[in-house]
Amino acid sequence: MKSAMSTAVALPPVLDITAAGPLASEFLRVRGKDVSVDASKVERVGAQCIQVLLSAVATWTLDGMEFDLANPSAALVEGLEIAGLEPANLVARNA
Amino acid sequence: MDTMAAIKQTFFQECEEQLAELETGLLAIESEEHDPDTINAVFRAVHSIKGGAGAFGLEELVRFAHTFETTLDLVRGGQIQPDAGLLKLMLRSSDILADLVRYSRDGGEMDESRVAQIHDELTRAANLDAAPAAKPAAPAPAAFEPVGAFDAGSADDDFVPITISFDDILGDGGEASSAEQIYVVSFRPKPELYAKANDAIKLLREIRALGNADVACDISDVPLLTELDPEGAYLSWTIRLGADVTEAQVREVFEFVEFDCDVSVTAEPKVDPDFEFVPAPIDETRQAMPLPVDDGPIIPEAVLAKIAQVNADPAKAPPAAAAVQAQPAQQAQTTIRVDLDRVDRLIDLVGELVINQSMLSQRVTEAGIARLSEVAVGLDDLEQLTREIQDSVMAIRAQPVRPIFQRMSRVIREVADMVGKSVRLVTEGENCEVDKTVIERLADPLTHMIRNAVDHGLEKPEDRIKAGKPEQGVVRMTAAHRSGRVIIEVSDDGAGINRARVKEIAVKRGVIEPGVPLSDSEIDDLIFAPGFSTASTVSDVSGRGVGMDVVKRSIQALGGRISISSKPGQGTTFTLSLPLTLAVLDGMVVTVAGQTLVVPLTAIVETLQPKGPEVHGLGERAKVIAIRGSFIPLIDVGYKLGYRHDEADPLNSVAIMVESENRVQSALMVDGIIGQQQVVIKSLETNYGQVFGVAAATILGDGRVAVILDVDAIVAGNRS
Repeated sequence: MKSAMSTAVALPPVLDITAAGPLASEFLRVRGKDVSVDASKVERVGAQCIQVLLSAVATWTLDGMEFDLANPSAALVEGLEIAGLEPANLVARNA
Repeated sequence: MDTMAAIKQTFFQECEEQLAELETGLLAIESEEHDPDTINAVFRAVHSIKGGAGAFGLEELVRFAHTFETTLDLVRGGQIQPDAGLLKLMLRSSDILADLVRYSRDGGEMDESRVAQIHDELTRAANLDAAPAAKPAAPAPAAFEPVGAFDAGSADDDFVPITISFDDILGDGGEASSAEQIYVVSFRPKPELYAKANDAIKLLREIRALGNADVACDISDVPLLTELDPEGAYLSWTIRLGADVTEAQVREVFEFVEFDCDVSVTAEPKVDPDFEFVPAPIDETRQAMPLPVDDGPIIPEAVLAKIAQVNADPAKAPPAAAAVQAQPAQQAQTTIRVDLDRVDRLIDLVGELVINQSMLSQRVTEAGIARLSEVAVGLDDLEQLTREIQDSVMAIRAQPVRPIFQRMSRVIREVADMVGKSVRLVTEGENCEVDKTVIERLADPLTHMIRNAVDHGLEKPEDRIKAGKPEQGVVRMTAAHRSGRVIIEVSDDGAGINRARVKEIAVKRGVIEPGVPLSDSEIDDLIFAPGFSTASTVSDVSGRGVGMDVVKRSIQALGGRISISSKPGQGTTFTLSLPLTLAVLDGMVVTVAGQTLVVPLTAIVETLQPKGPEVHGLGERAKVIAIRGSFIPLIDVGYKLGYRHDEADPLNSVAIMVESENRVQSALMVDGIIGQQQVVIKSLETNYGQVFGVAAATILGDGRVAVILDVDAIVAGNRS
C-alpha cells in the first residue's frame, strides 16, 4: 500500500549497468523512509539494476519500512520474468 | 569511418582469425593430431562467423555457414565420423567460407555454382543424420555409412534431401519432437560478465529461445544496500530447459562469456515422452526465495506434457554432464588489436631514438669525455636500452608465418584438384616469426612457387607409380631462423628439373647462346631468367603470365635471396632467405670518394686489401682479382655511382667480397671501412625516387644521410 507519507522514487527508462550505481545511491539517500517506486517508465532492465532493487527490498525489509513498486511497465515485468522473478519480489510490506 | 563500418571491419578481421582457426583445426583433424577440443574450436569458428554475418545481414554467408555448422555439429556429436571424404569436403567448405567472407568484404562476383555445389554436398552430409536423429535414444555412428554420402553416384535411392533451416536448429517451441532433451543449466555470472557489457538477462532470453525454460533465480547472495557493489554479481540461476537441441547448442549461448561466469550444462537422461509433466521443484538449498515462474504462453501445453520431472540438482546429474568452462587445453591469450599505423609510427620514433642516441654518443666522444666517465657509462646503458626497445618494437610487427602457410595449403588443394594429382602438404616451423610486411609480400611469390611445385614439380600419378614412388606427391614448406634471417624452403618430391629440356628452351628463347657449357646449377638458375617458362602449354594453373623471374624480383625487393637445387628423380627445392625486418639492417659503413655508404652485411662474404699481383686487367677497362684460384670482377663503386670520373687504384682500395643471387661473387672497391653498425632504413623511393645502385638511405650518428647500396643492382649493372 502506498501511504500518503511515502517518498516517491521514479525509475529511469533504461536500467542498464550504468544506471545501477546511481540507482543504489538514490535508494541509500531515501533509506529509512517508506518509498513508492514508480516503475512505469522502464523500457529496459538489466540484471544489475534488478540486484539493486532486490538489495533495496532486503534493506527495507530489515529496516521494517515499506517498499512499493508502482505501475511496473510491461518491459520491467518481462525482464523480471526472464530472470525468473516477478514484481512481487520487489515489494517489502512491513508497515 | 562511422561506427558501423568500424564494427564491420573488426568483424572481418575476426573472420580472418576464425578462418585460420578453422583451417588449422581441420588440418589437425586430417593429420590426426587433434584432441576433442579441436572439433569444438572448428565449430566455434564457423559459428562465430555465422553470428557476426547475421548481425550484418550477410545472408549468403549466413546460409553457407549455417549448413557448414550443422554438419560440423553432427561430427562433434559423434553422429558422423570425419572420414577422409568428409574432411576433404570440409576443407573445401572452409575455402568457400573464406571466399564468401572476402566477397562480402570486398564485393565482386562469387562463383555461385561452386558455392551451391559444396552447399549441396554439405546438406547431403548433414542429412545422413536425419535418419538416426529420428531414432532418438541411440546416436549410433556405426548404424550408417557416411562415406556413401559423398559419392554422388551411389547416393541412396531412399535418400531425400532436406533443407535445414534455422528453425530446425534453434528449435521452435511449438513443435516439440521426440528428440526433445531436458537440460539443467546452472549459471552464475561474475562481475566481469557485466563489465564487458553482457547481461545475464540477455543470456537467459537466449536460453529461453531454445525451448521451454523454467528459470529459478537465486537471490540469497544479494547483500544489503550498504554492502552492495552496484556493479557486482550476486544473482545466479538454475534453468531447466526442454529443447530439441544438442547440449553443445545450449552451451553456445554462453560461448562468449564462458570465462566470465560459472556455468554448467547437464543433460538429463531421456524419458518416455508420454510421461506426465510435473513442474520442476526448486532445490531448496540453493533457493533462498524459490520463485518458479509461469511462462504462460511461452510454453505450449504439448511441450509441457513432454517435459519430464527429474531432479533439478546438477550435482546429481549423470556423468555425461560437461561444464562449459572446462577448456583447460587452450590457455586464454590476452591480446589487443592495434592499428598498424600506430605500430609503424612507434617503429619510426624508435628509429629516430636510435639515431639520436648514436648522435649523442658521438658528441660525447667529440667533447673529449673520458670513456670511463659516468656520462659515457650512462650512455652505454642508454644504448643497450635503446637496442632492447628497438627489438621489442620490432617484435610487435613480427608475426608467425602460419597464416601464409595455411593459405598455401588451400592453393595446393585447388591446384591438385585442377591437374588431377594427389598432393600432401607438409609444413614445418609455422611459428617462425617474420615482419608483417615480409609475410604479406611473400604471399604472391609463394603461391606461384607452390603452383609450380604441384603443376611442374610433381609427376603425374601414373609416372610416380612407374618410378616406384607413392602415388601421392609431397610438397614440403619449412621456415626456420638462421643467423638473423628467416629461411623458407619449398620442396617437392617430384622428378627434379629436366635440365636438358631447360637448356633446350633457354636456347630456343634466346636466353643463352647454343653450345655454351653450363654447370647443373647454372642450368637450374635459368629458370629465373626473364620470360622463361618450361610448360609447353600455358596451363590454367601456373601459366598466368608470371614467371620465376617475377618471383625472384619480388623476393629481392624484400631484401631476400632465392636459390634452387634439384636432384633428378628426387625433387626440387627452392630456398628463400629473407630479412626478419625491413626496418633495420646490419651494415658495413664504408667511405667512397668522400661519401659515406652502407653495404648490407648479409651480402658481404669477406674484405681484403688487393695486392699488386692479384689484380689483372680484362679488356679495355674491366679488372679482375685473383682469389684462391678464381678470378672475380672488381667493381669500383665510386665510379659506378658517379662519385668520381676516374677509376680508383685498386691497390689503394679495400675490396669487399659480396655474393649476390646465384652465388656469384664480385669484389666492390671502396676507399676505406669505418665499421659495422646497425642502421635504420629510410626509404629513398618514398621520400625521393629510385636511384641506381641505391637500396635505401639512413641517418648516421653524425646526422648525415648515408645511402645503403643495392649490391645486386651494382653487380648486375657491372655485368650488362
